Amino acid sequence: MHRLRFICLASVVSGLTGLAGCTGEIIGDPNLPSPDPFAELERLQREGPPRYASRVHSCAKMRYRTLGNVLASRGVDLAATDELAAGNLYGKGAPALGAANYAARVRETIDLGLATTAKMFDVYVQAAPEIIARLPSRPECQVGGAGAQLFDAANHCLPGGVSCLIGVPATATHLEVCNQTISRAADVETGKRLAVAVLAAAAHTCE
Amino acid sequence: MNPRWLVLALATALPSCSDPPPEAPHDEWDDKLAARVVDYSAALRIAALRLTGELPTLAELTQVGDAPDDATRKAAYEAQVHRYLDGPRFARQMFRFWQDTLKMGDDPRLDSAPAFITKLVVDDRSFLEVFTAQTGTCTSFDPRTGQLTPADCTNAPITVGLLTHPGMNAHFFSNFGFRRVRWVQETFACTAFPAEIATIATDVGGTAPYTGAFPFASIAGQATGGRVDFRNTSSVICANCHSNINHIAPLFAHFDQAGVYQPQIVVPTPLADASPAVLGDYLPAGELLAWRSGIPVADMTGLGAAIAGDPEVSACVIARLWNWALGKSDIVDSSTRVPAATIDPQVAAFEANGYRIRGALFDIFTHDDFVRF
Repeated sequence: MHRLRFICLASVVSGLTGLAGCTGEIIGDPNLPSPDPFAELERLQREGPPRYASRVHSCAKMRYRTLGNVLASRGVDLAATDELAAGNLYGKGAPALGAANYAARVRETIDLGLATTAKMFDVYVQAAPEIIARLPSRPECQVGGAGAQLFDAANHCLPGGVSCLIGVPATATHLEVCNQTISRAADVETGKRLAVAVLAAAAHTCE
Repeated sequence: MNPRWLVLALATALPSCSDPPPEAPHDEWDDKLAARVVDYSAALRIAALRLTGELPTLAELTQVGDAPDDATRKAAYEAQVHRYLDGPRFARQMFRFWQDTLKMGDDPRLDSAPAFITKLVVDDRSFLEVFTAQTGTCTSFDPRTGQLTPADCTNAPITVGLLTHPGMNAHFFSNFGFRRVRWVQETFACTAFPAEIATIATDVGGTAPYTGAFPFASIAGQATGGRVDFRNTSSVICANCHSNINHIAPLFAHFDQAGVYQPQIVVPTPLADASPAVLGDYLPAGELLAWRSGIPVADMTGLGAAIAGDPEVSACVIARLWNWALGKSDIVDSSTRVPAATIDPQVAAFEANGYRIRGALFDIFTHDDFVRF
């Protein structure tokens, strides 16, 4: 039994996950991984215990194909071949956007990394002019046959268009951020483009 | 605080063995859970992205967001989730989900496995057919139309769900067939090996005790004529996993590199000559194949039935669906655990309703935890 003393030591570590054992008997969930206790501690401090973390939404990266659907449904031409076209950036950006590599038995990465978020923002910036031009005519953004506009004649952001862009009802804060982005830009067209990119990135970086 | 001191503090705070288990105290995490508020519009966006792969339309947003009161909003949200689950894009999303879960896709030979499960889901059949179906396991799927076309696999004399799937067996081909066994374990039981652990560890004369559930002598080693010493006492940790793996792998060892069944074992070994494995490499003579300790199986059909009867497997699929809904990373790769208490009602409902995925998804996407932020 002296060889089993490690289990008592292990129980110190397992105390972090609610296990305890001081005999040769093995108690608790046998399927728990045996993590580095410091990594586990850091994880618990960051995410909370599993009883909490499992019950709240995470900020998962928008899946690659979903991103394509979202762009296309808001007016972006995914077949575009211009070097800096959003569709081209999207099409050639699969690895940077964390797409799956099933040939290598690798699932899609849904953890957000800086490179991925930067790439997504590049796509939204390039997509913005297409979205501004085509979103009102997209069936997804029409109610009763009337298309939602992103901006009014005075270049103020409109709730219907912003809602359709971000996928939730636009709040006063959304509209304020949108309007401020336009008013602070060097010119109105740049401001509109930045406003759409900022709102889309803020809304859709997390799926 | 230095984390080392925190660990020490936790260690010293552990109760002695004679103390009764302490009750879980109310803490900051309970407060955070209680502080969440229902937001059906935010839930709708996530439900739409997961179940249709698209954002909600403006009309859908308006219907839920403009509802006059909470009860109407809830009803509108739940009706929309129903429409998503019944809609034409749901099949495409299920197909993508299963591609990712199985780690198989973007090749017609591989796609037929996730397409088969998608067909089960869309037709509202039992998920357990993944381990038992004798026909239709090489289904094809056209993502543009959402059309699922069932077809039979022809690579083996007897089809046993995805366990005999040609694409799977080719994709996870390896020495001894161990990669196929690992795929089954991690995908459908949601844990890495070791799959089981004994309640009492056994001193086998090594530097660490043996903790497998099978007897240590139930797997092959040099003492039994095996060419790889799975009973090596200088690294007993190997046996902790191989006690399970070796009782399953011979069934998968009959599928060659192309995923075609052969009457004899055809997988290679990691030995110098890469010669094919033989049954004696896995198990001593007379030892029975088994899914788990105490659950022997005679053949692949028996293995499929044993997996289908394992409650861990139904809990696993619900945990995977739950994690998908809430945007979590893979339950095995990232150890994104779902405590049983979180999903027990969903698992019970899944089992009671004939292991149908679509009903389980409705339960998850309308669950209180899903609509609170």
